[in-house]
Amino acid sequence: MMGGGRRFAGLVRKELIQFLNARAMLALILYLYTGEVLMCTTAMSFDVRNLPTVFVDLSGSAESRALRQDFASSGYFSVSHATATDAEAARQLDRGETLAAVVIPKEFSRQLARGETASVQLLLDGANANAASVAQGYAQRIVQNFAIERAAVQGAPAAPIEHRPRVWYNSELDYGYFMVLSMMALAGMMVGVITAAAGIVREKESGTLEQLLVTPVSPGEMVVAKLLPPLLVGLLALFPSLLVATAVGVPLRGSLPLFLLMSGVFLLSSLGIGILVAAVSDTLQQALLISMLALMPLLFLSGTIVPLESMPLWLQYLTELSPLRHYMDAVLGLFLKGVGLDVLWPRLVAMAAIGSALLALSVWRLRRGLG
Amino acid sequence: MRSLIWTIAWKELREIRRDPVTIAVAAVLPLLMLYLFGAALSLDVRDARLAVYDQDRSAASRALAERFPHSGYFKRSHEVHAQGEIAALLDGGRATLVLIIPEDFERKLVRGETAVVQTVTDGSFSATAMVVVGYAEAIIQDYAFERAAMRLAAHGGAPPSAVRVESRVWFNASLESRNTIVLGLLGAILMAFPPLLTALAVVREKEAGSVQQIFVSPIRPYEFIAGKMLPYAGIAFLEMLMVLAGGLWWFHIPFLGSFPLFLGATVIYVFCTVGLGLLISSVTRSQLVAMLLALLATLMPSFLFSGLLFPIFTMPLMFQLYTYLFPARYFIEIVRGIAMKGVGIDVLWPQFLALTLYTLLVFALTTRLFRKKVA
Repeated sequence: MMGGGRRFAGLVRKELIQFLNARAMLALILYLYTGEVLMCTTAMSFDVRNLPTVFVDLSGSAESRALRQDFASSGYFSVSHATATDAEAARQLDRGETLAAVVIPKEFSRQLARGETASVQLLLDGANANAASVAQGYAQRIVQNFAIERAAVQGAPAAPIEHRPRVWYNSELDYGYFMVLSMMALAGMMVGVITAAAGIVREKESGTLEQLLVTPVSPGEMVVAKLLPPLLVGLLALFPSLLVATAVGVPLRGSLPLFLLMSGVFLLSSLGIGILVAAVSDTLQQALLISMLALMPLLFLSGTIVPLESMPLWLQYLTELSPLRHYMDAVLGLFLKGVGLDVLWPRLVAMAAIGSALLALSVWRLRRGLG
Repeated sequence: MRSLIWTIAWKELREIRRDPVTIAVAAVLPLLMLYLFGAALSLDVRDARLAVYDQDRSAASRALAERFPHSGYFKRSHEVHAQGEIAALLDGGRATLVLIIPEDFERKLVRGETAVVQTVTDGSFSATAMVVVGYAEAIIQDYAFERAAMRLAAHGGAPPSAVRVESRVWFNASLESRNTIVLGLLGAILMAFPPLLTALAVVREKEAGSVQQIFVSPIRPYEFIAGKMLPYAGIAFLEMLMVLAGGLWWFHIPFLGSFPLFLGATVIYVFCTVGLGLLISSVTRSQLVAMLLALLATLMPSFLFSGLLFPIFTMPLMFQLYTYLFPARYFIEIVRGIAMKGVGIDVLWPQFLALTLYTLLVFALTTRLFRKKVA
């Protein structure tokens, strides 16, 4: 028994040294957890700000100028060009020089003076559908505000209704908050799958796996020794990520030990995917290509970039098999809602179940492949 | 000279043919990605779940609440009877928006005071939350304007003018986010696989040491590069055609412009992607590092910094400039221009020029780096 323990410790040491010697890889992993997280957090947003807009003022009245001012000062539209004709606006839209055009018709001020319904035309480039929908909402808000203020000027006493919108979990509708957590989870998934797959296949390819297995080391022990270094690095890399998250205003509201526990189980299940990939491939190239095949849908369709609710139902059920989906849920809960194990235990159980199934399957497969 | 390139290309092609995994991944990955992304990545807001907490239970509050489902954007799914239920509804994701109308709503409206309406939105996903808040705001303001008009009429004033927004959306009239995404995917999918495959093909030989044999042979670096690249460029080109066919057939994406122009852009882009793979292979010796580099330098940016999902004009200026570093941006602009807008080279020439220069630069850099290694 003592000999077994020492043997195992030696094996772990060998794996750790090998893993930590790959400097370029460690640097990239660290960058993935910090630089990439920070960049995506600051840059990615579905919000619409400074939408390049041309303003075609055919009315040329005080009212149309006031409306133009409302658009320009809203911050949503960047009213940089002034153009005299709507043909010119159309040309600019076609060429992609502008993404929106607001056209105030000639009779605008006359209609307002007579109390008729006036209209404002909004032309939008729909090539980015989401940005166009959001911009449409903003334009409507600006124009309706304009109408209500005019009614107030005409003598309606106070504004009849005040709308107080509140947004939960993410008070400023900042996608960055979501993205920082998303990128952390994505980094864990990528690192877990790739390092585990590469670590095992490399030995397979060079024939050292057989050598290892003629020693008294069991395949199970070997797998555990292979898993420890990437698990350790994956967990340690979370700390700089946590700093980045705090720096951009997404502090961990839930408990740190629970977060580490969740992350550990999640990393193990990602490593499990990697080992399974290694078990079915013969060369490193194959393993990396298969990892890529597995990672693509897993990375982007686990509730990381778009929410699960917006996906078709069959796909939502399918994502139950993705550890990343459960981890994402857990992380959102821990960071944004500050909930604890009483709410998140199903996620933990699901990740643990997926992880153990994967590990069992791959150890079995490895043993059979070599036996 | 030329025959040496063909010899290397031929040898590479034979090796690819021997590896069923490579062929399977090359064929399956693009279609799988296209299908899953096209089916799953929808940012459209339809039938957002609305919960109503009507404390007033008046004609006015009912009228306001009724306007939400009438707008076509909301589906009334829950009635809330106590403040405490709201948290559970949002926590469980059973409601997207809760409309709270306080007790004194109608009384204040009638007295000419300002009534307050509250909405609480689930903001966990801001892309859709923003659209939902926008719709809610428009509905409430619409109602507010009518009440303002009623007040003016009650005071004997002239009715105020309503101002309507007549919006027309060009190039994608139904605001289908799928069109946006699938056309963008054409650029991103090609950045997922060909660079990785090309990089692995070279680094594999480096790892095995066989690349030394090539460098001592009379083969010149550019011949080696060209030979290695050609088979993968061919594969990438076929992938692009497959993905386009899939997009047209499964998702009925529009294609208004010129197909030959699209093919021209594709040829340049294909060389750009495999060129990037070669560039990666020239700076690393390990397949694992090549994979991580491919993920970081080609795949992630072409999803995140290309305008595929996230509009570029909203990014901080520094990141707007950063997007020019990745060729996916140029290609996606070209594809959307051709397919959605039906515009031609007279409009798209800057993007074509940028893509071509970029590709040439990548090749120049790669050849230089390889030559240095040999010397």
